[in-house]
Amino acid sequence: MDLISSLALGFSVALDPINILYCFIGVLLGTLVGVLPGIGPTATIAMLLPITFSLQAETALIMLAGIYYGAQYGGSTTAILINLPGESSAAVTAIDGYQMARKGRAGPALAAAAIGSFFAGSVATLLLAFFAPPLARAALNFGAPEYFSLIVLGLLVSIALAHGSILKALGMIVLGLLLGMVGQDIYTGTPRFTFGVRELFGGLNFVAVAVGVFGVAEILRNLENEKEREVGVTEVKNLWLTRDDIKRVIAPILRGTVIGSVLGVLPGGGHILSAFASYSAEKRLSRTPQEFGHGAIEGVAGPESANNAAAQTSFIPLMTLGIPAHPVMALMIGAFILQGITPGPNVINEQPALFWGIIASMWVGNFLLVVLNLPLVGLWVKMLSIPYRVLFPAIVLFACIGTFSINQNIFDIYAIAFFGILGYLLIRFGCEPAPLLLGFVLGPLLEEHLRRAMIISRGDPMIFLHRPISATLLGLALLAVIVAVLPSIRKKRTEVFVEDD
Amino acid sequence: MKTFVKILAAGLVAGSALSAVAVMAQDYPTQPVTIVVPFSAGGPTDTVTRLVAAAMSEDLGQQVVVQNVGGAGGTLGAGQVAAANPDGYTLLLHHIGMSTAPALYASLPYDPMTDFAPIGLVTEVPMTIVARKDFEPATLEDLIAYIKEKGEDITYANAGIGAASQLCGLLFMDALGTKMTEVPYQGTGPAMTDLLGGQIDMMCDQTTNTTSQIQAGEIKAYAVTTPDRIAVLPELPTLAEGGLDNFNLSVWHGLYAPAGTDQAIIDRLSQSLQKALADENVGNSFAELGTYPVPADQATPAALKQKLEGQIALWAEVIKAAGVSAQ
Amino acid sequence: MALNASRNDLASGAIFVALGGYFALEAMRYEFGTPFRMGPGFMPVVLGGILVALGVAVAAKGTGKPDTEAPAPWPWRGLVLVLGTILFFAATIRGLGFIPVVLISGLATALSSSRNSLLSSLVISVGLCVLCMLIFVIGLGLLVPWIGPWLRF
Repeated sequence: MDLISSLALGFSVALDPINILYCFIGVLLGTLVGVLPGIGPTATIAMLLPITFSLQAETALIMLAGIYYGAQYGGSTTAILINLPGESSAAVTAIDGYQMARKGRAGPALAAAAIGSFFAGSVATLLLAFFAPPLARAALNFGAPEYFSLIVLGLLVSIALAHGSILKALGMIVLGLLLGMVGQDIYTGTPRFTFGVRELFGGLNFVAVAVGVFGVAEILRNLENEKEREVGVTEVKNLWLTRDDIKRVIAPILRGTVIGSVLGVLPGGGHILSAFASYSAEKRLSRTPQEFGHGAIEGVAGPESANNAAAQTSFIPLMTLGIPAHPVMALMIGAFILQGITPGPNVINEQPALFWGIIASMWVGNFLLVVLNLPLVGLWVKMLSIPYRVLFPAIVLFACIGTFSINQNIFDIYAIAFFGILGYLLIRFGCEPAPLLLGFVLGPLLEEHLRRAMIISRGDPMIFLHRPISATLLGLALLAVIVAVLPSIRKKRTEVFVEDD
Repeated sequence: MKTFVKILAAGLVAGSALSAVAVMAQDYPTQPVTIVVPFSAGGPTDTVTRLVAAAMSEDLGQQVVVQNVGGAGGTLGAGQVAAANPDGYTLLLHHIGMSTAPALYASLPYDPMTDFAPIGLVTEVPMTIVARKDFEPATLEDLIAYIKEKGEDITYANAGIGAASQLCGLLFMDALGTKMTEVPYQGTGPAMTDLLGGQIDMMCDQTTNTTSQIQAGEIKAYAVTTPDRIAVLPELPTLAEGGLDNFNLSVWHGLYAPAGTDQAIIDRLSQSLQKALADENVGNSFAELGTYPVPADQATPAALKQKLEGQIALWAEVIKAAGVSAQ
Repeated sequence: MALNASRNDLASGAIFVALGGYFALEAMRYEFGTPFRMGPGFMPVVLGGILVALGVAVAAKGTGKPDTEAPAPWPWRGLVLVLGTILFFAATIRGLGFIPVVLISGLATALSSSRNSLLSSLVISVGLCVLCMLIFVIGLGLLVPWIGPWLRF
């Protein structure tokens, strides 16, 4: 079937009034759960699965998909407003988004996030429509050695996340990697660093760690000098992007879309890297890198675009091969099965209306999201005028209840307190929390892929160089290090000359 | 007296939907029933549970809610139900892992035999021996000869300690008397991805995960692990046909209540489970998954108890012989 | 005491050394493995060692360069009340139930700001309790008793 008639079929499904309605319900719910920390799309989709029994297969899946990408959209809101990221991608948005909000520029930050998300989501959906099967095939060439090299590249490039001491940033990354190793070792079943607590066998919960080192630590910071100054936002400067802002966000949005689309296709954890990778790229390419970490709008627009592009393209392995890229996609598989459709390579041929209907609905959904979210910007910004002394108890409670609701695991809440104090101390002593979170999400992947690659190669480390994709990625990593080190060497030399004079 | 106080207390907190109201078993259920799935949402066990839960809600006239309590190979969720109030409002739907946990975990905080009241078997999912598309052996006989020849040169994927795919591999290698190189994954999804990409050689997994890939010709299938051929993949021989007599493995799922639950409630639930399994919708959805509901005489407390007992003994031996432990 | 070093660098270096040391030493007890089959101890031992080295480097870099800014005062009241509240929430949510725990937690956290009086804290906690009930229990169907088993005799 040619693409035009396929898309026509898709739109005839997606533009059915019932489906538009459920698409709207999906993205609305997604936005709401994305805004609340803790309760994420996984929990929401799981809870709504039984309700979708009674719906048509297309309608049900359109709604569930809407929840997922709607949540990606909403996730940035709390990260920007109150420094409380609910997912790994939103953690990156929090770095500069929250600083913008503190300077009274929450409006432009939210608007940039919404526009970037809309653009990236639409373009990535186009990719999904045109190239899904070949992209999925290409992604299968990524085995353990390739993922390992990709993660090494990601870690080395992301040192740019730091705006202070590089040594401290490295330390935070390594600490994050180590924290990611808490829990049962998947290769031998050995419980590591669990103190014999069975609840820790599954590892530390990301939301608990993120809420601790970002949200709670920030509250403690703000309580330091409470007597002398009013915390929070003093004045709201403007709600909408200025002409200068628009000029600054165009390129980051384009680059973020490319980075996110490519990484999102990889089922073994590529999407996790997308927001971090985009942030690093923007900081590297910026003419004013010193602004990053202090409210650079590029640092919001780029990662937000990347993470939404990745959210759409991560449907590619699911829809064309029937393999899930992450827990939400696993749930979507469950939803397919409950509807009597076995997800797999045959869906595109056997259920064309469903396949193209879901794709077309993503444009509809992204459009609905932007219509829904732009007017909300004003409302969210108003929320910041709530005095901080009222706001922060709410943040603490939302964090606790939200985290508890994920797995009903009280150890996740203890973890918030632990990471709150640890994060507070480290931030107080000049270390930044974002690299720690990056290490935390990548740590288990790094170890898993390294060990698997070594098993497959029978202990021969040359496997990383013999495989062309892996070797290329490692070459890029080496290049990144050289590029990072060269300027400082050159600078030292000029300094030496200056002193000689 | 105590009951009286409880009713009084319940009156005091009127309006709270989840307060423990002491009711007589005949009235059961008077509030939503929770089935705990000890795995994350979206997996095969979760899907099976949600299908059954939906059908049971209709029969019980109360909502049956599925709650995912994942972690520690299913022992967290099971432990939570073992410690729950035996009032019939917290149940557990667990698979074969219920019988392997005692052998895998030295310090299990519950005993599968004494801390639970079995309600009934739910389904037995067959497993399939599969390999990457371009794997050399053509038939089951070829495969067995090939494995005996190459041994550890063959990479065999599993979904981690105690996963059904690992158990199947252990039993298979045990039957052949050879070892392959085991490559653990975080769940069957990533393992299937690498099998599709030809990164690894072989895997043994439930039909729930493999059927669509086999039918699409994306992976090669050699055999099913059940004593009889299965309806969705009729061309696949059984392992017994390949000369591995007595090879019988399926991922069985059972429904349990905490020990001490009123017998009348257990009977009511067992009856409701049988009705759910007879439901045409459930049957069709199960068929989509490559499995089938157990017959009514298996969805009983006695049948599940017998199954559990036999399997605990079997796995204790196999797991000990393989030297596997999750501590 | 005139310390000729950056307190911040020394302190963060110390945290790195302590945590890296813990991870590395604890991981020594796990199997190290071979390059073919790396054991569970391999990565933590290596990374723990790197973290210790980075901690030493951070501290070394800070010697001779005292901090220019005076350290901010410690928010003792906040530390005790905010962290205490979170621990209290974790310990009692199952036992006491949603309403009492959220009321008490809201009150305690609000009090950790010296800008809140007792009255305003009470108002905040009641308001938050209603809001959280609406969002999480009614809206999202969180499975938690409103009044927990400890309060039911």
